[in-house]
Amino acid sequence: MTSIPRSDKLFFYALLPFAGIVLSIFILLLKILVENSLPIFIREGLGFITSNIWRPSETNSRIEYYGILSPIVGTFYTSLIALILALPASIALTVFVNEYVPHRFKILIVNLIEVMAGLPTVLYGLWGAFIFAPLLKDYVMVPLNNYFWFIPIFSCKPTTPSTMFTASVILAIMVTPFITSVIREAYEAIPLSYREAALGIGTTKYEYVKIMLTMIKPAILAAVLLGFGRVAGETIAVSMTIGNSFSLSMCLFEPGYTISSLIANQFGNAGFYHYMTYALYGAGFILLIIGLTLNSIGLYILVRWRKSLEET
Amino acid sequence: MKYIVDIKCLSVYIKGKKILECIDLKIPRNSIFTIMGPSGSGKSTLLRVINRLIDLIPYAKVEGKVYVFGMNIYNVDPYILRKQIGMVFQTPNPFPHLSIYDNVALGAKLNGVARNKDELDKIVEWALRKAMLWDEVKDRLREPPSKLSGGQRQRLCLARALAIKPKLLLLDEPTANIDPVNTRKIEETLTSLKNEMTIVMVTHSPHQAARISDYIAFLYMGKLIEWGPSSQILIRPRSKLTEKFLRGEI
Ligand SMILES: Nc1ncnc2c1ncn2[C@@H]1O[C@H](COP(=O)(O)OP(=O)(O)OP(=O)(O)O)[C@@H](O)[C@H]1O
Ligand SMILES: [Mg+2]
Repeated sequence: MTSIPRSDKLFFYALLPFAGIVLSIFILLLKILVENSLPIFIREGLGFITSNIWRPSETNSRIEYYGILSPIVGTFYTSLIALILALPASIALTVFVNEYVPHRFKILIVNLIEVMAGLPTVLYGLWGAFIFAPLLKDYVMVPLNNYFWFIPIFSCKPTTPSTMFTASVILAIMVTPFITSVIREAYEAIPLSYREAALGIGTTKYEYVKIMLTMIKPAILAAVLLGFGRVAGETIAVSMTIGNSFSLSMCLFEPGYTISSLIANQFGNAGFYHYMTYALYGAGFILLIIGLTLNSIGLYILVRWRKSLEET
Repeated sequence: MKYIVDIKCLSVYIKGKKILECIDLKIPRNSIFTIMGPSGSGKSTLLRVINRLIDLIPYAKVEGKVYVFGMNIYNVDPYILRKQIGMVFQTPNPFPHLSIYDNVALGAKLNGVARNKDELDKIVEWALRKAMLWDEVKDRLREPPSKLSGGQRQRLCLARALAIKPKLLLLDEPTANIDPVNTRKIEETLTSLKNEMTIVMVTHSPHQAARISDYIAFLYMGKLIEWGPSSQILIRPRSKLTEKFLRGEI
């Protein structure tokens, strides 16, 4: 601090309020979240996350009970499926853009990917619910069930277009641009000298790409975790396509719930019940914990990888 | 095929700037061919043309003809060319994510030089011995190269290049980071490898050139000033520029 020149110090003090405001808003939000979710945790304890009961009552608040196991499981389940679909696509896109596309088109495609990553998610929801979901049902879900019914995740007959499968696919489409841009940045950050080293030993394109990808493995893991954080928190597109029902089925062709779609779907009614608002805050709190954990681990891995790149 | 590399009026431009200007050069088989010249004269660029790593530099334009092993390098798949050419770069660049062992083994494995674990172990040991590194790393082959010193990394890169059993070895100041004792040993290695391969080496040291090279080329500002048998270049250079360089004046 002491070595900072006077004018810089002034500048520093001028910035301080803004940083302060942002930080205090965050703390305030956290306080509200904790305060409002506390009643449900006190009332239901661990049952809130381990049971799958959603029992609101307008007349008798004593029998109200909220357990969000299905949305919690649904969040992880749909996210997992989405990531399984998005990761290979993102890696393929990265390699394609960096190794095969001529420079001019590369900039175009990269910008397109960035734009897609930034589109309002309600658009994905609209498009997903009205156009994509019915097609998915007829041309993907039904055939998968017909031919692969013996695999538990495909074992039930799809009766509606709005299923966990649909939501997962929409999530995969939405998160692919994001994961791609994290992986792509890492891929492009590999110093020229390592590229030369890999090509210098006479690698084919395929071998070369494999070496490059193993070199950025930590960044790929980070991209997946950060993508997980995003997908788990995605709200509107999911609530428009997942069917919103408290099921606890392995089968992807059933409607389901995620934490965020639960909150989006129920908050309109919450005022009518004594405990539901607390339950939704509680769900929000769980979501925050999940998101914070995934994002911090992801960022930590990414930062550590970048450092290791500078050291060698 | 008397000449492993045959360069005919090679010019290289990077972003429109002329880096090499109509170079004509023939590199005889099983010789040590040294390229000398002041910093920025285009030595590394010339090496990068021979194995087409120059392709990686955006906006680099290559003119003229280059034949390596009798093939026009722009008429073959670059990886087929590079499989037979080992290269040690000016700054050591071992793969950071691979162990010492795997750094050396990778090329041998991919190029089919070794077909099983035993052969691979043998090749790795052979290459590390040739690079004068074996004794220092034999007990820690599974460690990452980040634990090695600069000079050890440079020798690791030499081992990596040797392990693909190249017919042509490109060395860009391979002993710049290495102590005199190991430098001498590596020079002995290179001399002994001459029977198996052709070696093109960039060095700043006229003494090193005198010790091991059969031919010397002198580059200055992208132009090939002269080249010939080392004794001739070192004792009776035709150009004043070469003379000045050898006296350490440019
Ligand atoms: N990637 C590049 N982009 C732009 N210019 C380059 C690039 N690589 C080399 N050059 C230029 O080409 C010229 C020759 O560079 P080169 O690395 O071949 O020199 P060198 O003889 O190896 O020098 P040194 O002894 O310092 O290694 C220099 O002027 C350099 O600025
Ligand atoms: Mg150089």
